[in-house]
Amino acid sequence: MTDSPSRDAPETPPLFQRLFDNMFLLLALGIVVMLVVYTGWGMWEILTMPAGTLP
Amino acid sequence: MSTAAPAFPHRICPATGRVVAAAAEPLIKVNAVVAVVSLLIGAVAALLLVLTRWQAVHLLPAVWYYRILGVHGMNMLIFFIIYFEMAVLWFAGTILLNARPANPKLGWFSFGLMLAGTVLVEWAQWSGKADVLFTSYPPLQAHPLFYLGIILFAVGALTVTGLFFATLVIAKREQRYEGSVPLVVYGAVTAAIIAVITLLHGAIIYIPTFLWSIGLIKSIDPQIYRMIWWALGHSSQQINVAAMVAVWYMLSALTIGGVVLNEKVSRSAFVLYVLFISMASAHHLLVDPGFGPAWKIVNTSYFMYMAVLASMIHGFTVPAGMELGMRLRGYTDGLFGWLRRAPWGDPGFSALVFSVVVFGFVGGITGVTIGTEQINIIAHNTMRIPGHFHATVVSGTAMAFMGATYYLLPLVFQRKVAFWGLAKAQPYMFAIGMLLLSMGMTFAGSFGVPRRHWDISFSQALFDVQFNPAVDITLAVMGIGGILAVTGALSFIAIAVKSVFFGEKITTWETGKAIVGIPQGLTNPPVHVAHVDQLNDELHAESRGIAGATPGTLVLVAVFLLAFVVYYFTNWKLLSFLWKVG
Repeated sequence: MTDSPSRDAPETPPLFQRLFDNMFLLLALGIVVMLVVYTGWGMWEILTMPAGTLP
Repeated sequence: MSTAAPAFPHRICPATGRVVAAAAEPLIKVNAVVAVVSLLIGAVAALLLVLTRWQAVHLLPAVWYYRILGVHGMNMLIFFIIYFEMAVLWFAGTILLNARPANPKLGWFSFGLMLAGTVLVEWAQWSGKADVLFTSYPPLQAHPLFYLGIILFAVGALTVTGLFFATLVIAKREQRYEGSVPLVVYGAVTAAIIAVITLLHGAIIYIPTFLWSIGLIKSIDPQIYRMIWWALGHSSQQINVAAMVAVWYMLSALTIGGVVLNEKVSRSAFVLYVLFISMASAHHLLVDPGFGPAWKIVNTSYFMYMAVLASMIHGFTVPAGMELGMRLRGYTDGLFGWLRRAPWGDPGFSALVFSVVVFGFVGGITGVTIGTEQINIIAHNTMRIPGHFHATVVSGTAMAFMGATYYLLPLVFQRKVAFWGLAKAQPYMFAIGMLLLSMGMTFAGSFGVPRRHWDISFSQALFDVQFNPAVDITLAVMGIGGILAVTGALSFIAIAVKSVFFGEKITTWETGKAIVGIPQGLTNPPVHVAHVDQLNDELHAESRGIAGATPGTLVLVAVFLLAFVVYYFTNWKLLSFLWKVG
């Protein structure tokens, strides 16, 4: 008995394994999440703060 | 993994059979050596600080207290840790993948940049030209060379991180590995990504601050500075967390044959770190007026808890992998037979266990609790904060790095571990000392003792502040713990220096018998029983019920959760005393 062609073909890793193995995608996501949620939103909070008035 | 002989100059490790690229080895060594030198400076500073904060001793005058506090922060939190992490990146990118380093010349140039930056910062701090503490908040201003030094150091570290990514790409292209990288390397990738996020924020804030120090920029907004700076200051400690967890997995395998329970789960936890751990920086801004509650709570709770979840996953999978590894070696008796039969005299193993336990039970629980927005108001700027991070960064990360060093000395430096008896005792000394120090600080902080304060008796002030007398005891506990911990750190340094520069050279050794100066994981590499598959099936049999294959770890995790719940709700109770409603 011989192996079927489908068994000879290289197995493609599952989607999440491919995503998790893509270090540059993770790098981009890590930077974007931090820049949006922490840095960008934080800057917006500070810059839109009303200026205090002297008594 | 490729078994073909590599085309680059190399040697084969006698213990692990791995390819050690000739160009990578000296880069690992120099980074590790400078890390230990930084640790020495930081440890001496620690002793002076602890003997000053211990009010009964109160050693240093005010100016030197704040100066040394800055020195301690930079050397411990930045130099020691990041140099060691650079060594980890070179190690993980090359030796663990049997690969060659990308552009070693640029690696040496980057190391030179980091070293030049370190020297500038040390000079500025010790000469009193940078009495601005670790945080260097404006409007406090240091000498321009202090900021330039930090920038040079950061650029060097960022370049090494880029070289690590390039090394992985080359390793893949040259088929040094197939499929996914090993889990330990994956942890190093996580640390490297967090390092990029961290160092980018460092550049964003330190370049304008440098320009401000030479007069090219008029002023720096203190609130913006605080926000961006903490994305460097706190996130740099998250690089540690990822690197530390990677070292946990490595030491678990090396010392007792620990296994990875589930690659998907462990890798998912690392991805959670990549996405969510850096925003823990917002903890430092929880009482700042410039941010609304939505920003604070999303950053420190909703999103940050995903990173906490990741730590709790690793906190389960690492000990469970250790338990399963030991059981698969035949140590199957009872709940904790695997722990009783573990090699407690191996400094790599004891350091691993102390790192996991103190990081989780003390550092983790206190961190999540005081990072809660409401509770933070009773903890902010008290000694509870250094109590927390000494349990994570020192008891966790530094302890893990020390444990790894006991294996790297024979494997990479090809030297026996010197003062072997002392080396076996060192993790115990360091861990107990740090535990006392952290607990002393935490309880002193619970009584309101401020952090970064030279004299809580306010002896020359016009007003009087009375602390609960129990504070004297907690500060004494902190002082005694600090002395013990510094003794442990100095012992580690003595062992490392003697081993590296004057230690007995070893290129190969006989396995199967104990050898003084070589950890048991290398002389008797852990092997599973012959009928490992059958034993594994028995351990995973459905009849074992919820306890599963790792019942001992399940009990330990239950104790952890109980401690967490008690501590968390105790703090809400304490808050209710302060903040009465109705």
